[in-house]
Formats: sequence, C-alpha cells, structure tokens
Amino acid sequence: MNKKNVITVLGWIFVATVVAFAFVRKFNDIPATTEIYTMNTIADIKVYGSNKKVVLQKVVEEINKINELTDDFSPHSDVYKINENAGIKAVYVHPETVDMVKKAVEIARLTNGSFDPAIRPLSQIWGFKDKNYRIPSKETIKNTLKLINYNDIVINKNTIFLKKKGEGIDLGGIAKGYTLDCIKTILKEMHTERAIINMGGNVLTYGNAPNGYWRIGVKNPRGDGIIGILKVKGTTFISTSGDYERFFIKNGKRYCHILDPNSGYPASKIVSVTVVSDRGYVGDALSTAFFVMGKDKALQNAKKFGVNIVGIDKNLKLFFTKGIEKSFVPENEKGR
Amino acid sequence: MRKGDRIVILILLFVTLFVAGQYLYSHSNKVLKKEVIIRSDGKVIKRIALNDATKMMFTVKSKEGFLIVQINNERVRVIKSTCRDKLCMKQGWIDRPGESIVCLPNRISITIQGEKNGVDSVTY
Repeated sequence: MNKKNVITVLGWIFVATVVAFAFVRKFNDIPATTEIYTMNTIADIKVYGSNKKVVLQKVVEEINKINELTDDFSPHSDVYKINENAGIKAVYVHPETVDMVKKAVEIARLTNGSFDPAIRPLSQIWGFKDKNYRIPSKETIKNTLKLINYNDIVINKNTIFLKKKGEGIDLGGIAKGYTLDCIKTILKEMHTERAIINMGGNVLTYGNAPNGYWRIGVKNPRGDGIIGILKVKGTTFISTSGDYERFFIKNGKRYCHILDPNSGYPASKIVSVTVVSDRGYVGDALSTAFFVMGKDKALQNAKKFGVNIVGIDKNLKLFFTKGIEKSFVPENEKGR
Repeated sequence: MRKGDRIVILILLFVTLFVAGQYLYSHSNKVLKKEVIIRSDGKVIKRIALNDATKMMFTVKSKEGFLIVQINNERVRVIKSTCRDKLCMKQGWIDRPGESIVCLPNRISITIQGEKNGVDSVTY
C-alpha cells in the first residue's frame, strides 16, 4: 500500500468512528423509562447509558422489594406483622426493615417527634388509612395520642416490638426516600452515568444533567402546574411535603394527611416545604417534620441538619434557606 | 491512484463528514416534539401532538375506571374522573414539558413531553 492509500484508509476509519460515535451518543441520550404503581404512589424511572435496560430492571426490583417489606396493608409485609403483634411479641424482620426503622427513629429523636414513624393509629382515626376521611372526637384524639410514641419501638438485633397494643408504625414518610438511597447505590455499582427517579414526588437526580443542571418543578400548592423551578446540580435528593396531596375539606377548613404527632390534628402551619439533601431518607422524613414544625422551626432545623429548603407559608409566600434562593426560578419570571 | 480517484475519494470523504457533522449538530440541539402521553398502568396508550391548534376532549379508560381529559391552548387537564378524591381534577391545568397529572386510583398518567422550557421532574 502506498502512502496515499494509507491516508485514504485512515480517513475512512475516522469517518466510520465519527458515525458510530454519533449513533452511540444518540442511543445513550434516550433514557430507558418506566412507570410503576407502588408504595401507594407512582414511581417514574428514567435511566441513561449503554446498560440502561438492565439498570432499569434492577431499580424496579429494588422498589418492589422494599414495597413488600413496608406495605402496611399486605399481611406478608414486615410492617404489617410488627403492627399485628403490637403489645404481644417481638417480630423477626428483614435487616433492611430494621435499618429503615432505626433511621426513622433516629430522625424522630432529632426532630423531637415532629416526624414520628409510630403515627399510624392517628392516621387511622382521621380516615387517612381507609380513605374514609372524618374528624375524630377530642376524646378519641386524646386517647390515640397515648399510642403515638417512637420510644415504644423496641429494636433488638433483627426483631422489632411495639410496647403497647394498638400501636402501629407507618414508614410512608421515609420509605420512598430510603428506597432512593438504595437506588443510588445500585446506580453507582452499575456505573450509570445519568438517571432521574421520582417516587411520589421524592426525586433522585443522579449524575450530571444534560444541560448542566437538573430542572425540578415544585408543585404549585393551590393553582395550576408548578410554582417555580429548582435548579440542582449532580446527584441530589429533593422531597416535598404539602397539604394538597391527600386532604379533605369540612366546613371550609382543610384537613391534610400530615398529622402533628403532638396535637393529634393535621399540621397546618405552612402549605408546603421542599427539602434538598444528600440523603434520600433524611430529605423524605425531614420534609414531613418541617411541614409539622412550620416556617421558623423548619428554617432553624434545616441549618442544624445541613439541608436546604424552599417553603410556602399560609399566605402562599415563599421562604428559603440561605444559599438556595438563587437556584429557584419562580414560575412568573419564567420568561418563555 | 489517478488524480480523478483522489478527487472522488476526497469528495466522498467531505460529504460523509458533512453528514456526520450535521447529524451530531442536529442531535445536540434536538427538540423533542411536544406531545401529550397517556399511560394506563404504566403502558403508553395514547400520544397526541400538542400545539396551539390541538383542541380536544376524550375519555381514557383503565381497568379501574376512566377520566375525561381536555386539551386546549397547549394545556391539559382532567375534567371528570371516576375516582373518589378527584385529586387529578383538582390539579388543574398543566402546560410544561415534564409536568404530569396522575390519577392513582385509576392508574392513569398524563404527561407532557418535549424539551423546550421543560422540567426534568416535579416534586410534590
């Protein structure tokens, strides 16, 4: 082969490489997606990269696995067994259930019970479990409050025991965030470049966003669509608690599903709070706790926990921790 | 190799490079068509191109029940649902790519897809 032919061949190899690269890029730019109904909500999963289908499958399996442990309506779940045996005996459970309950109790302690995984009896009397919403009598609330105490959750090796009959745990305020932590581990193990997972409003952004930052809409608590866009970079968790998700209105008053473990009534100090954190379970549980606490205590505690928050008060006015306000683009300034 | 061959090869090379370059360029600036995607139990059952001329009302069925969906002015909302708490209806209009309305009891989701001015996800 003479010199010119070598150059020609090299040229063609170069062209072939460019074309192949373009195709691979196109393939990797289209995510593998799915939507599944689980944990009393919807999970929306998008995974990018060459092994996206395998990763997507693993993520779905992980979600289903954790749902089987925490589904308080399924007789096979650990949570159901723990609740059924309240005041009777300790129940042997899956190590992941132990881990999750430990973490829930830890957040309960750190928030002085504003988040309480032992909230279940209270949710029951308000009808948030059977969806037969009702306002319980003062007497019922008073009596039920005696059963709401995370200190009555006894964890001993791989067993969990609730001290009193009638007590019950509900991991609905932490399981979705916890699951996102597990998913993050999977994505890391599988060398996933980029993914975004939304579990009932709890979002995990993983890897670098296509355009530098992820744009996460924050639901408008009273009107249409979103109230603004939160711009976040890289891998992070975003969780929101609001009074619009599950609620009922009686005599003009709104009663939402997030109950204040101290008063026994639905929390109503603010209408929504979004937490940005680097741990899924922390963000999930703290959003509930902050919603119960209200603006001032939420802002103080956000600082203590090292997380950022965007809140919406009763007058639909936004409030922020320092350092996140500039990452938030209100919807009325969207300039489209 | 004669001079003619070289010219042909060079032309081919440039054409290919041009096509590949165009492909990469258009791809990096791709704008997904704005669409409304309707899923029942996670499976896509309907796709509707969304533009200012799209004006319609239709029923979406699932195993659990049905919704009536309205599209108008590049926005989408649910105007009737067989579910109990009607949270899907209370959500009102959505208009941004990335936003969605979900009716959990009916297992129906309505998502706007597209790239311009969109969001990657919504926290609620």
